[in-house]
Amino acid sequence: MNSADTKKWYYMLPIISIAILLGGWMLVAQGEGSMIPTPYATLMRFLDICVHPISKAVLPVHMWMSLKRVLIAFVFAIVLGIGLGVGLGWSTSFHAFADPVFEILRPIPPIAWIPLVILWCGIGELPKVVIVFIGSFVPIVLNTYSGIKEIDSLLINAGLVLGANRRQLLTEITLPATTPAILAGIRTALSSGWMCVVAAEMIAAKQGVGFLIVRGQESGDTALIVACMLVIGVVSLLLSTILSKLEGVLCPWQFSKTK
Amino acid sequence: MAVLKNKISLKNISKTFYLKDRTVEVLKDITFDVKENEFLVLLGPGQCGKTVMLNIMADLEKQTSGAIEFDGSRPTMGDLGVVFQKYALFPWKTVIGNVEMNQKLKGVDKETRRAKAREYINLVGLQGFESSLPKQLSGGMKQRVGIARAYASESDIMLMDEPFGALDAQTRYQMEDEIIKIWEKNKRTIVFVTNNVEEAVYLGDRILLLASRPSYIKKEYIVDLPRPRSQTDRAFLELRNEIVENTDLDI
Repeated sequence: MNSADTKKWYYMLPIISIAILLGGWMLVAQGEGSMIPTPYATLMRFLDICVHPISKAVLPVHMWMSLKRVLIAFVFAIVLGIGLGVGLGWSTSFHAFADPVFEILRPIPPIAWIPLVILWCGIGELPKVVIVFIGSFVPIVLNTYSGIKEIDSLLINAGLVLGANRRQLLTEITLPATTPAILAGIRTALSSGWMCVVAAEMIAAKQGVGFLIVRGQESGDTALIVACMLVIGVVSLLLSTILSKLEGVLCPWQFSKTK
Repeated sequence: MAVLKNKISLKNISKTFYLKDRTVEVLKDITFDVKENEFLVLLGPGQCGKTVMLNIMADLEKQTSGAIEFDGSRPTMGDLGVVFQKYALFPWKTVIGNVEMNQKLKGVDKETRRAKAREYINLVGLQGFESSLPKQLSGGMKQRVGIARAYASESDIMLMDEPFGALDAQTRYQMEDEIIKIWEKNKRTIVFVTNNVEEAVYLGDRILLLASRPSYIKKEYIVDLPRPRSQTDRAFLELRNEIVENTDLDI
């Protein structure tokens, strides 16, 4: 194969894999009373819930509710997570003080917090935001911390001989050098937070995509479930693409492919 | 010839690292002076402690015993130019951002420090690359930035730790010519560390040959050859061979 053919082949492959997925899906969805909706039924259900409200809201509104919870929690997770990560990585005494507690709480899966958080905060907006916060806070702390720990000592030495004092060493050298690691943490945090919001909504919510999935389960509406699952996947892909663009803007020296 | 002022004096400097299971004596009773505006080369085999010696001069490490004196008071951090072997450029800063770093840390206003940075970028021949990122530059160009950044600290003492060690042979020759040009245009006291005998003879006014660990000064050579030097010149080769014979071959 010449290189043009190879290129065409690479464009063909994803189309083929998606076609196989769709074909397989149609095949298993055959027959009366199948518990799997056909792709066509799923698409129709998707269009339907975009205009006909469920629980007083159309799909875009449910989507926005979920997204809003993630974004609010995310702002807190980023600010506090970077703060704690920098504290742990920068100050030996703070590390000695705070690390044991963090290490004990860290391995608890965020979803395990849901019952307790609902008991504490009721069933309003707050518990969902808190769950998402727990889920996205931890990866940001860990990445910030390890980013600071693994910084090239040569850059620190260069900063020192150029006359940086301790504060400048942090703001001018350490933080910029750690930005890629922090962004990687934010990326992990975003997928973890998105997972948490769906889980939290499945347990207690009146709106949101997680709620829609449970509603589908309760009414045996498999097309609704699958439509929501696909929407969740697509939104999460979109968020990750936006984040990649953001990385290129914030860290052109690391992420953008110049020359 | 007028007696030249001593810029730096090292007196009986020793350095021992105390590791968990053993102690490593790296420097042993090192005594020498660096004269004003001279190009002094510290030549020694790999791992012989040259970098440690430079780090002690730059105050990045403390000697175990001995004293180091400077003409006047000890320069504080930021008042010594240091060029690192692996460039140590800040990858998130452009060329000019790297070169102006010292002045920025000192709180010099943007316009003044930019003007000064441009001056040194011109000195190393990188005009036109001010807003490039280090990753867009070749190895030789990166080290030009490193040199400009060290020069921009306006220190009269420059410490260079195998600055051309990571470059390919061709670029290395170019940079050797370049550093002499820069130094002749803008005289500073240079302490240049290398493990390359030809480089030492090509560049140095004076060469201190170091023995392998623990390192001590084995011999001093005054390189009394006119510049620009030729690496195929007879006197050059004689001196080179003499030094090679005296070098510890445990590289």
